[in-house]
Amino acid sequence: MSDVYVVGADLIKFGRYPDRTPAQLGAQAALLALDDAGLTVHDLDVVYAASSYNAASMIGQQVLKQIGQTGIPCVNVSNACASGATAFREAYIGIKSGVYDIALAFGVEKNPKGLLGGPVGNGPSPEGLFGSGTTPAMFAEAGMVHASAYGTTLEQFAQVAVKNHHHATMNPKAMYQIETPLDVVLASEMIAWPLTKLMCSANVDGAAATILVSERKARELGLGRAVRIRGSALASDPYNPRNPALLDADSVTRMAVGKAYEMAGLGAEDLDLVELHDCFATAEILHYENLGLCGDGMAGALIDSGDTALGGRIPVNVSGGLLSKGHPIGATGVANIVELVMHLRGEAGARQVEGARIGLAHVLGFSTIAGVCGVHILEKV
Amino acid sequence: MLSPKAAHAVVQIRDSGSPWLRGYRCGHCHAVVLEETLCCRACGVRDAPSAVSLSEGGQLFTWAVVHRSFPGVVTPFVSAIVDLDDGLTLKGTLRCSEPGALHAGQAVEIVFDDAGGAKDAEGAPYIGFHFELAAGDEA
Repeated sequence: MSDVYVVGADLIKFGRYPDRTPAQLGAQAALLALDDAGLTVHDLDVVYAASSYNAASMIGQQVLKQIGQTGIPCVNVSNACASGATAFREAYIGIKSGVYDIALAFGVEKNPKGLLGGPVGNGPSPEGLFGSGTTPAMFAEAGMVHASAYGTTLEQFAQVAVKNHHHATMNPKAMYQIETPLDVVLASEMIAWPLTKLMCSANVDGAAATILVSERKARELGLGRAVRIRGSALASDPYNPRNPALLDADSVTRMAVGKAYEMAGLGAEDLDLVELHDCFATAEILHYENLGLCGDGMAGALIDSGDTALGGRIPVNVSGGLLSKGHPIGATGVANIVELVMHLRGEAGARQVEGARIGLAHVLGFSTIAGVCGVHILEKV
Repeated sequence: MLSPKAAHAVVQIRDSGSPWLRGYRCGHCHAVVLEETLCCRACGVRDAPSAVSLSEGGQLFTWAVVHRSFPGVVTPFVSAIVDLDDGLTLKGTLRCSEPGALHAGQAVEIVFDDAGGAKDAEGAPYIGFHFELAAGDEA
């Protein structure tokens, strides 16, 4: 079977777009990715469209109404924060299988404002009566498991936000370009202890898109800026006795990344950069260990070492991550891949990871009752 | 007087009006889950787990102190995740005077309550629960 390549990748600047529809934002990203690939809508065989909140309204077809209604198949995907990675993976599978030669995979979201998460079921609202179903509380609880087991400190969690906000100052498409020193992070509004506001992802609108092609088509177009997909994995939250009372970010991530490493024939030691799902600062700490960037219990020491900052041994979230670039739910899984492509091409500007050859993108999706993880490994050709 | 209703899936109410905690235990692998399922979620055996009465005591596994919640929800409060003694992990609100002194492994007990005084459309009251630190294990 042929390898699958990414030949187009781009995103719109993440922010608030009160006067634009999700379809307009998605279309804008799709056109950017087509331009990046030197292709037009008439070249596409299929569209895989991700939007956690808009898949049911056929966001893929809506985008084609914006950019050209050619009649090609659209698959609309909603899979929480892993929607984008799921759409990208379906495009990969469609091409790998030989059914298609050229696919557009995009993600778009106009996020609801305020806290995400929320009550399920009948009767009085459970929020406050039976703990909290807000996402900050869920990731604070998960972080406190790590703190209780390994002595991870509030300052270590906060350093994740310091690092990622710093990285975003070099990303013109990030929501924020603001340095946030440790004292600023710690002094910002307490949302769900130990998470302050600057340790929570930026709730924004956004869209990102990629063009995937078969090996035959990649050679025809020229491999100069093509990036090869080495691993693609998706996992659903496996049984765990505390699931779903406790958000289990760990098992599902370890399942997905294990499959992706196996498929790629690579390990954590081979990675040059990682874009992981820092929806909250605690999550990045958990995922250092889940992705094998360090041993269990060593994530606090890893953030302290500076190894995950730009210029370090294994830079993590040089885009600014969800904390500062922003987290438009359905777009995030594609945006993480776009970031990798930019680095593997050597086109990431001030935040370029020098000599990057292998990158890993990870997203974790959760509701109060279920979870999903997507992992992709990309390689410079 | 209208009969009380359960405010949470784990709460069951006897004919006498007294509440108890219900989970479902797999007869094959003994996993305990909150919701009734067709097969066992843990081992996949095609025998539905059976309803069982759960312990009203357990240990604090992890928690968050919630300072910002949805509009109208009174904060701060402690969102706690507790391992019940004979199986099932349950999320609930932990009422305690010193959240800053909490630590994993503390003994907690279930206290049934009136779910904040909530009433349904007909005016029937609810029965809910919260956690408290067990006597001798206060923070």
